[in-house]
Amino acid sequence: MGFIKKDIQAPNPDVQREEPAGYSELARQLASGDPAERRWAARGLARHAESVPILLECLALEGDVSVREVILTTLTRIGTGEAVAGLVDCMRNDDAELRNEAIEAMKALPDEMAPIMGVLLMDHDPDVRILSVNILESLRHPGVESWLIDVIDNDHAVNVCATAVDLLGEVGSHAARDALLRLKRRFADEPYIQFAADLALNRIAKA
Amino acid sequence: MADISISDNDFLKFREYFYRKTGIQFEASKRYFVDKRLIERMEATMCESFNSYFMMLRFEASGEEMQTLVNVMTVNETYFFREDYQFDCLVRSMLPEIVARKRDDGPIRIWVVPSSSGEEPYSIAICLLERWAQINDWDIEIISSDIDTSILKQARAGVYSPRSVNQVPAAYLQKYFQRNGFSYQICNELRGAIEFTRVNLMEPADVRPYRNFDVVFCRNLLIYFDDVSRKQAAETIYDSLSPGGFICLGHSESMSRISSLYRIRKFPEAIVYQKPLEAK
Repeated sequence: MGFIKKDIQAPNPDVQREEPAGYSELARQLASGDPAERRWAARGLARHAESVPILLECLALEGDVSVREVILTTLTRIGTGEAVAGLVDCMRNDDAELRNEAIEAMKALPDEMAPIMGVLLMDHDPDVRILSVNILESLRHPGVESWLIDVIDNDHAVNVCATAVDLLGEVGSHAARDALLRLKRRFADEPYIQFAADLALNRIAKA
Repeated sequence: MADISISDNDFLKFREYFYRKTGIQFEASKRYFVDKRLIERMEATMCESFNSYFMMLRFEASGEEMQTLVNVMTVNETYFFREDYQFDCLVRSMLPEIVARKRDDGPIRIWVVPSSSGEEPYSIAICLLERWAQINDWDIEIISSDIDTSILKQARAGVYSPRSVNQVPAAYLQKYFQRNGFSYQICNELRGAIEFTRVNLMEPADVRPYRNFDVVFCRNLLIYFDDVSRKQAAETIYDSLSPGGFICLGHSESMSRISSLYRIRKFPEAIVYQKPLEAK
């Protein structure tokens, strides 16, 4: 007994995961009964932008969280408009875990999310608007502050505004000051809004 | 450019954000270090105030400046027995669990990625020889991989500076190294014990043969990746581990911020992450 060496890069007769032939083979493996094979297939499909529809279809049906995570990473890597639209649809899914996973994926796509952020922040469903503000939390985009200002100036739902004002406390500049004061007047009877807006104003004043 | 300074508020704001994004926490005692590097980066990027720099850091779509800042805020230095509490954790906590659930007499497999110049895999080998009572009962396979072939060449040669071996106990130094002038060469027995291989963690075809590992040491690598690559690497390593296998990250890295696939394991010696035993 002791240290041993094997040539890891030599063909291994035990290897079940052979190099996939290409898109059609990977797509077939995505339906495999073995989660590990599905993960490798999803990983390999990152090079095939045409795989977005099948990845989204599998995402909706996939019960194994580890496979789902790889599919979402692949969709993020592909990052086309079609992939983004599929991730946005996940925000309306009943499965809270999937919603959160999709939000994490969208945070990594600032350039792709930017053109649709305005629409998402005006969605008819306040829950989708809150989730959209959550995306802004980590979205690397210069438009974040102005989107948040629009939200606190225009959104009628106090919970959406509360989420936005929390974030403005971190990223807000003097440009947000007047909007924060207007928000305080608009929700004069909401103690949390008063507290969070004062906190944000205080931080901006000290910056 | 006017003199730039970092106020107390700036420091707190930066510290909070940097921690949230990287898991690296700067104590107040590191203030001078942080300020100095922030000011260097602000000058390099022509930002005239902390606020303009912070906005760029936060909102730059490419994340390039954030990556540069991570690079300058972390000390990319490797040496023998760095963060050796994890090696103690390996012999006292992880290996006993691995051995207890092993159903065959196959080797215990350890993967070190990135290999860098070899200090880490050799340190692990020495720890196993010196501190693990069951070393003679099991075959051990240590594979050490890196994307950089020149650093792998250095690792195979196993020649180190006095600074690199500074933390090696004198008895180990005498036993496992040969002094050649101002350098130390690791003994042939250990050089022959470790398989050094080139691998790109981002390339599925490269990584696929790497499987059934009981422990992966992936320390101070993911911190240099962007968010998506970090997640992809964590998912790839997941498939290289056996169910119940462990992954050790650097002290400033946290898997909880990267992927939800792993379970956190708090051992007396260290916090590590585990692929669930029931994972398929």
